[in-house]
Parts: sequence; C-alpha cells; structure tokens
Amino acid sequence: MTFLRRAVLALGVTGLVTAVLRLRGSGGVPPQTGGWQELSGPDFR
Amino acid sequence: MRFAVLGAGAVGARVVRQLVMSPGVDGVVVADRDRARAGLVARSVGEPVRTGGCDDGDDPWWEGADVAVLASPGGDHGQVAERLVADGCSVVSVSDDLGDVEALLALDARARAGGRTVVAGAGFAPGLSCLLAGHVAATFDRVDEVHVAKTGTGGPACARGHRQAWRGEAHDWRDGQWVRRKAGSGRELCWFPDPVGPEDCYRAAAPDALVLVPAFPGVGRVTSRVGASRRDRVTAHLPLLLRPRGEGRLGAIRVEVRGQRSGLHDTAVVGALDRPAAAGGAVAALSAVALAEGRLRRTGAGGVAELVDQRPTFLAELSRRGVKAAGFVGAAGPS
Repeated sequence: MTFLRRAVLALGVTGLVTAVLRLRGSGGVPPQTGGWQELSGPDFR
Repeated sequence: MRFAVLGAGAVGARVVRQLVMSPGVDGVVVADRDRARAGLVARSVGEPVRTGGCDDGDDPWWEGADVAVLASPGGDHGQVAERLVADGCSVVSVSDDLGDVEALLALDARARAGGRTVVAGAGFAPGLSCLLAGHVAATFDRVDEVHVAKTGTGGPACARGHRQAWRGEAHDWRDGQWVRRKAGSGRELCWFPDPVGPEDCYRAAAPDALVLVPAFPGVGRVTSRVGASRRDRVTAHLPLLLRPRGEGRLGAIRVEVRGQRSGLHDTAVVGALDRPAAAGGAVAALSAVALAEGRLRRTGAGGVAELVDQRPTFLAELSRRGVKAAGFVGAAGPS
C-alpha cells in the first residue's frame, strides 16, 4: 500500500512538473515574410 | 609555413585537415594527451602531418611552428597561450570558454610587446559569428546593437563546456558597460537558418560579447544567447550521467546587427548552419594561415571580428570550403 501511494505521488509530481514546463511554452512570432538565402560571391565584396 | 595543433578531437582533427588544404603549408604537428588519437589523425591525413608529444620537455609540441592552434578542451587556454607567447609563438584558440577568452584577451600587452598575436574565440561561435557580424556591420554607417545566438556543440568537450555555461553569469554589454546576468535567464525564441528553425535561447556564460565589443567602437548593446531545450536547463546543474556523443548535431548561429544606414534605422540578420566542429575547425585554420602570412590587422590579442582584415575574402574562402553563410531577406520579424 505504501509502495502504491509513493508511486502515485511520484507520478503526480512528474505530471505537475511536466505541465508547468509545457505551459511555459516557447512563445514568439515566426517571421511572416522573407526567408534565408545563401550568401554567395557578390555578397562577399 | 609550419603549424602546431594541440588537440586531436572533433575540432582539432578538422583544423589539421583544413591546414593541409591550404597552400604554402610545409608542416603540421598534432599533439594530444591521447597520443594514439593524435597518431590516428596524423595517419589519416598523411604528409606533412606528424605527431608531437604533449609534455613540455626538451622538444615541446610547438617547437618550430609559426602559429600554434589550441583546439584542446577549454579551461587552460590562457595559461598555455601565455607560455607560447613567452616562447615567441603566436596563438589561435578555438575555446568558447568565458574564462579562457578573458585570459587570452588579457595577454594583449604582452603579445604586442613581443610582436606576437593571440586570436581568441576562433571557432564556430565565437568565430564564424564574429566574422558574420563584422561583415554585416560594414554595411552600416553606425552600429548600435549586435545580438548573437547559437545552438549546437562540437565534440564531447564542447558539450561539457556548454553545460558549465548554464551555471555561470552572462556578460552583456549595455550602454558602455558590462552587465552580468544569471545564465539561463532572458529566454528568447530565435529563428535559425532551416532546417534548425526556431529554438529557445537563453543567456549563458558565453564569451561572444567580450570579443565583439572591441570590434565595434561605440556600440550600445552586445548580447549572446545559447539554444537549449527544457531538459538541458533542468539537468544543467546535475552531473553528466551519459558520455556526450563523439560529434554533436547540426549547429547554427544567428547574428542580428542593428544600426543606422543612410540615415535610417535598419536591422540585418545573417546566420550559418553547419556542424560546429567542422565550421570551427575551418575558421581556426584560416585564421592561423592569415596570421602566419601576416594578413591580420595588428599584433596583440583580440577576436576574429577585430583582427581579420579582409572579411569578405575570408568568408568567401570559408564558403569554398563548404562553410556556408546565409542572410535573412525580407521582414526580419521579431527575432
């Protein structure tokens, strides 16, 4: 019974920590236009 | 030209290979605490590479070299460079350890007095990031801010160094003075070149600002951030349970320069995508060759943004060797 209580507690704490970390999220807004373009010869003058 | 390379790991092996590819290189000595590994690198590349001992006895590993490249795990590059400069040898260091870069830059007066040069932070970031910052900054009339973000690690030693960077203090340059902030703070979503894309980046004990500030006199803000997952941040203060992989994943850097162009406030964003060890090795090797050929701006200690004279030519040569840079065109977006 003690083992079961500890297991449930461990799972609960893990879930709580995971939820907090996930809820923080990444945020930010992606660039709406444009993109990456490789620099080549003329860019190095 | 003769070179000596300390460290035969992921970066050191690349440095040796890139040096041999350069014209005019007569000899390269590679030394490592693990002699077998140094021997493996020397055999895989062949002539003119040979191995040297790491002990500093009668035949030090840098004996006869025009330039010594420090590609060993960070932590003691300052002390090693001090001995090399005292012995009349110029130095290129790939270390991204904050303490190393501080110690290397502190050798400025001693190196100038001896007519020697110490290039600090000649790797992926700092290194390639500084070159890109300098290249873009040249298109501005006045540079107000430089912000660098990086993600990815080179070899196992680099991965360990990154974990340590989360435990220290970040050095940001703000309004003409250094501001120290807790590593792991200042989350910012940075958009790296594809396919790395967006990644959360945080302040870390990284030396980028130390080498960038002297390169841009009058700059108002210089910051650096390092990409990390939540797991990285949570486990940063725990012992490393698993040995890092031999070579890290694909890494990326993103450099944002803000300033005045033709009387208008403008922002430019450039980046690069590569294996950090491969790109860092190429930057270090080309810096060492430029140093041996006397193509750097001055003697003394400094970063590549400050010391490399012809950045476009340098970047073009890196591109020819497979280290590609990219610019963000269109609306730069928030970050």
